[in-house]
Amino acid sequence: MKKLLLLLLLTVCYHVTFAQQSGRIAIRGSIIDTSKAILPGATVMLLTPKDSALVNYGRTNDKGIFEFRNVKRAPYILKVSYVGFLPLQVEVNPDNGEVVDLGTLAIKPIQKELLEIVVKTARAPLSIRGDTIEYNAASFKVPPGSTVEELLRKLPGMQVDQDGNIKAQGENVTKMTVDGKTFFGSDPKLATKNLPAEAISKVQVFNDKTEASKTTGIDDGKREKTVNLELKESHRKGGFGKVTAGIGTKDRYQLRGNYNRFNTKEQMSVIGFANNINQTGLSFDDYQDFRGSQSFNWNDQGDFGFNGGGYIVFGDDNGIGVPISGGSSNRGFSKNYAGGGNYNYDTKNTKLSSNYFFNQTGQTFDTDLTKQTSLLNGAFRTEEKSFRNTLGNNHRASARFEQNLDSLNTLVVVGNFRANNGNERLGSTQNFFQEDGKGPPSSQTTLNNQNKYTGIQLATTAIYRHKFHKKGRNFAASLSYNINDTDGSGNQQSNSRYFTDTTAGGTSQIRLNQDNVTNSLRTELKSSLDYIEPLSKTMSWETFYNFSLRTDKVDRDVFDRTDQGMVRNVSLSRYYTNDFTYNRIGTSVRYNNKGLTLSGGLAGMWFHQAGKFAADQTGSPFTSVGRNFFSFVPNATAYYNMKNKRVNLNYNVDVRQPSTSDLQPVIDNSNPRFIREGNPDLLPQLTHRLSGGFGVFDPGSFVNVYFNLNYGYNINQIVYNQTINSLLVTTTRPVNIDGGTNVGSYFNFGFPLKKTKATLNMYTSINLGKNPTFINNVPNNTTNNNYNAGVSLDLTPSEKFTLYPNFNWNFTDTRYSVNTAQNLKIYNYRYGADMNIQMPAGIFFNARMNYQIYKNPRFGFTQQLPILNLSFYKLFLKDKKAEVRVTAYDIFNKNQGITQSSYQNIVQTEQVQTLAQYFMLSFSYNVRGLKSQMRRNNGF
Amino acid sequence: MKKLLIFFFIITGLRATAQQTEGVVTYQRNQDWLKILSQLSYLTLDQKERMKSTYKNYEGFKTPMKLYFNADQSLYANEDEYWKSEDGRWSQRLEDYIIRRDFKKETKSEIIEMIGKTYIIEDSLQTPQWKVLNQLKDIAGHICMKAETTDPIKQQKIVAWFAQDIPVSAGPEQYFGLPGLILELDINDGSVLVTATRVEMKDVSKELATTKKTKGKKIKTADYDKLIKDHIQTSIKSQENPYWTMRY
Repeated sequence: MKKLLLLLLLTVCYHVTFAQQSGRIAIRGSIIDTSKAILPGATVMLLTPKDSALVNYGRTNDKGIFEFRNVKRAPYILKVSYVGFLPLQVEVNPDNGEVVDLGTLAIKPIQKELLEIVVKTARAPLSIRGDTIEYNAASFKVPPGSTVEELLRKLPGMQVDQDGNIKAQGENVTKMTVDGKTFFGSDPKLATKNLPAEAISKVQVFNDKTEASKTTGIDDGKREKTVNLELKESHRKGGFGKVTAGIGTKDRYQLRGNYNRFNTKEQMSVIGFANNINQTGLSFDDYQDFRGSQSFNWNDQGDFGFNGGGYIVFGDDNGIGVPISGGSSNRGFSKNYAGGGNYNYDTKNTKLSSNYFFNQTGQTFDTDLTKQTSLLNGAFRTEEKSFRNTLGNNHRASARFEQNLDSLNTLVVVGNFRANNGNERLGSTQNFFQEDGKGPPSSQTTLNNQNKYTGIQLATTAIYRHKFHKKGRNFAASLSYNINDTDGSGNQQSNSRYFTDTTAGGTSQIRLNQDNVTNSLRTELKSSLDYIEPLSKTMSWETFYNFSLRTDKVDRDVFDRTDQGMVRNVSLSRYYTNDFTYNRIGTSVRYNNKGLTLSGGLAGMWFHQAGKFAADQTGSPFTSVGRNFFSFVPNATAYYNMKNKRVNLNYNVDVRQPSTSDLQPVIDNSNPRFIREGNPDLLPQLTHRLSGGFGVFDPGSFVNVYFNLNYGYNINQIVYNQTINSLLVTTTRPVNIDGGTNVGSYFNFGFPLKKTKATLNMYTSINLGKNPTFINNVPNNTTNNNYNAGVSLDLTPSEKFTLYPNFNWNFTDTRYSVNTAQNLKIYNYRYGADMNIQMPAGIFFNARMNYQIYKNPRFGFTQQLPILNLSFYKLFLKDKKAEVRVTAYDIFNKNQGITQSSYQNIVQTEQVQTLAQYFMLSFSYNVRGLKSQMRRNNGF
Repeated sequence: MKKLLIFFFIITGLRATAQQTEGVVTYQRNQDWLKILSQLSYLTLDQKERMKSTYKNYEGFKTPMKLYFNADQSLYANEDEYWKSEDGRWSQRLEDYIIRRDFKKETKSEIIEMIGKTYIIEDSLQTPQWKVLNQLKDIAGHICMKAETTDPIKQQKIVAWFAQDIPVSAGPEQYFGLPGLILELDINDGSVLVTATRVEMKDVSKELATTKKTKGKKIKTADYDKLIKDHIQTSIKSQENPYWTMRY
């Protein structure tokens, strides 16, 4: 700039100073407007003619004069710009002289209405290309469904008369093109009357050569006023779809397909699948393709206040949404059929979504179960072989509507509906063994049950949110109504034989043959209010109120099938109603500044329960259950977000309401050796939970560390008391008990061994649980300590070979306070690897190995299961739209769904016959192309 | 800026009505993750389209930015070190980003956090090679003209709109060197859009003079460019989005 000033001083004598530089020239001129007034301060730019690159720029002085000195001798475009004027471009072609004097250049003002309306009001860019003026049509608002004609009427400088004739800048428009092409013949009206305005992104007006001069190539000098309509990129409607079909050995098959159509506002999709390879739900990708923009909706939760809406949990609300399953289930065999359609409509202010989905799942489970039950002294073992057959049909319909009423008010209405029906058959033989003895069973029970059900569930929520003009002051109100109406009926037959009962001459038998009909109806009305007041820039204060009125009604009739016909069983039949009134009011204060968030609050929770039950509706006498329950619910949170680090600390009280089935005073004897009873006196479970976490991620070295520790203490924990009589019949009943604790920790450490080639991740978790329960009315503490550790490696040495080994070791140590002799340990190990190879001829190979080891030394149980899946596939057609795949599933035919678990005083090992070895040939076609899965998806 | 040297400006006396050349611009910077992600070469069309359809109603990440300028200098930075949600109940630390330029001395001094580290870049200025186009639009009450350039390191298409009536060559992010103040910057078709919401003409010499001490690694432009280039290459190779840890 100093040099610049120097140059400025030399202004007066510029002719002399640089005259000798022959390779350099000066360009000068002056700028005036159309009324010949001089224009000082106009921007003057020198651009290269080839690509408009900016070489130099300056401004005119107070006499309207500009001059570029000492610029390279070359052709230029001189561009003049001034507020309110059309930019002017002048070609500069220097001759032999030292100075190019362009003389006086006049610039034309921009038509005032263009400037005011297009640029200022519509905030739309105005493009000038020679004599072409271009508008951004999207900036001009026309009602939805308008035609282009109505849009043109809105554009400044355009007139459309009653007959649809168009004038631009006073001249008749004789030609109308769409994306530069004559689309609708020679009559411009055809285009304007037929095209929707929404499809247009730009309107260009220019003078085009006549068709005659275009064809002859001889410019007749005549020009036609032409309007070109440019179509929106996004409006070019789209459609996509994919289909997969496969056929395999052992009658295995799969069929899956979806098709979608969309434009800027609407998405429509249909999806369907059928298979017998245990894929019961949609994959995550399929779900997203199906639901589109409505796949995920936050803020649809109407329960305000702390605990993130989890303040009230009902155990049996699940299954109302579209089912998603991540891969195939490893239990039993299933036949699955599903199909549905979805429609979304999205604009900035209105969002509407609706869908219907049907699925049918038929499953068979052929199960071997070994169960060890600890008693005060000793234990007994149950060995069960069962065969269960289920069929379920679900019709789901849902709708969601969101409307921004204005910039401050929003309304969301969500409705989910499900109608389901199904049946179940269960046949089972249970052998009971005293102690660990290997001898003959002491008793045996066979059962044969059949059940049917039909039900409807409805969940609706309306949420209204209001923002006040004061920033941060917010109000929200919600109203929900939920119904769950289920009718079931069944027949159960069982025969229990006690071989060691000597009183009745060696063997006694108990036979049962009953029919039952159960109608249960639950309705719930909920409402919440929430108000947030900002106290300062960093503090805010929230107050909330939750209300719920829940009514349970259960009518169960049990009949004994006897020789005299059906006889109502009074001790098992029940009529039960329960009204649950829930109120919670709470307040919290929150501080948020510089990445630190602190909040603390307290709520008071109160509920009233009014229940009654009897053997039937006429109910003489009804037993009443009436209680009030009050508890304080505190909450405190700290969260600190620093550079590459974050820390969080949290204290809260979880409140878990007892489920309907736990509350209802119904005796479920569908397994006569394991009888479940409800408990209408059950109180909600409170868990004081303290948790903290610490995370570091260094984006430079990709090292990440995460540590988490949590502790929970239960009050009124819902546990299932066990009473085991001398006939080894277990009766469980939920009761409340204090003192159960859980300590958990998780640690993860990951880092690259070699950037982009190898990453190592290690993790370990420890869970120490102490659960009190009663066994035959004696308190017992079961300590369940679980230790888990794992290592995984991502090896991606080249584009043609990837390997992902992973190892996991899991060990559970279970101890019983009343009977230490029953203490035991369970081991589950898994060694797995996933390998991908790109082979010649565009063939890809995937191998997935899972070597699983299950051990239970006390049971003498050891199983080693190597499960290996292989597949070869080839992508072909343009854009890799098609794929052929050969899959060998469980090559060694070793898959047997094993689960080992221990809970309360029970340890069990279960083996379910499941999908094992089969081979499949499948074909996929995806309009949007398919991908070789050489690498695991890292997310984005 | 060398071109500026050659450039000749006849001043036989600036008029009293000459435009003011100092003030402060407030910009809103909107980062559209969806657009950024849908340019990642390792994602398939299927994945990109799925993402677009699922998240089409989501808006970008918005942060307010400030640019202090006069005829010779500019300072561009986050308005606040922390991002805050609209209701003020959430905040998040923003990465260091302080861009200082001196057009007279032709120097720059930048504090940029990327890949988890803070870098201090002090070096000479290199003016982008602009193309000036024939479009006009209004931004924050100023009629602006369109100019284009490309970022050779990040391979981005840059569109700038510069004010016809503020003859200052300053601009937001890494961009400057036009005949007027840049009031809007569009990186890769809206992946990042920095738009002026308010332009205030006032004396900002105090703000331009303030310096804040920041620890960081000193580095030259050429090395910094290499760092960016390597990071983008490595990330794309390991199929990760490079812009999670680097300013777009």
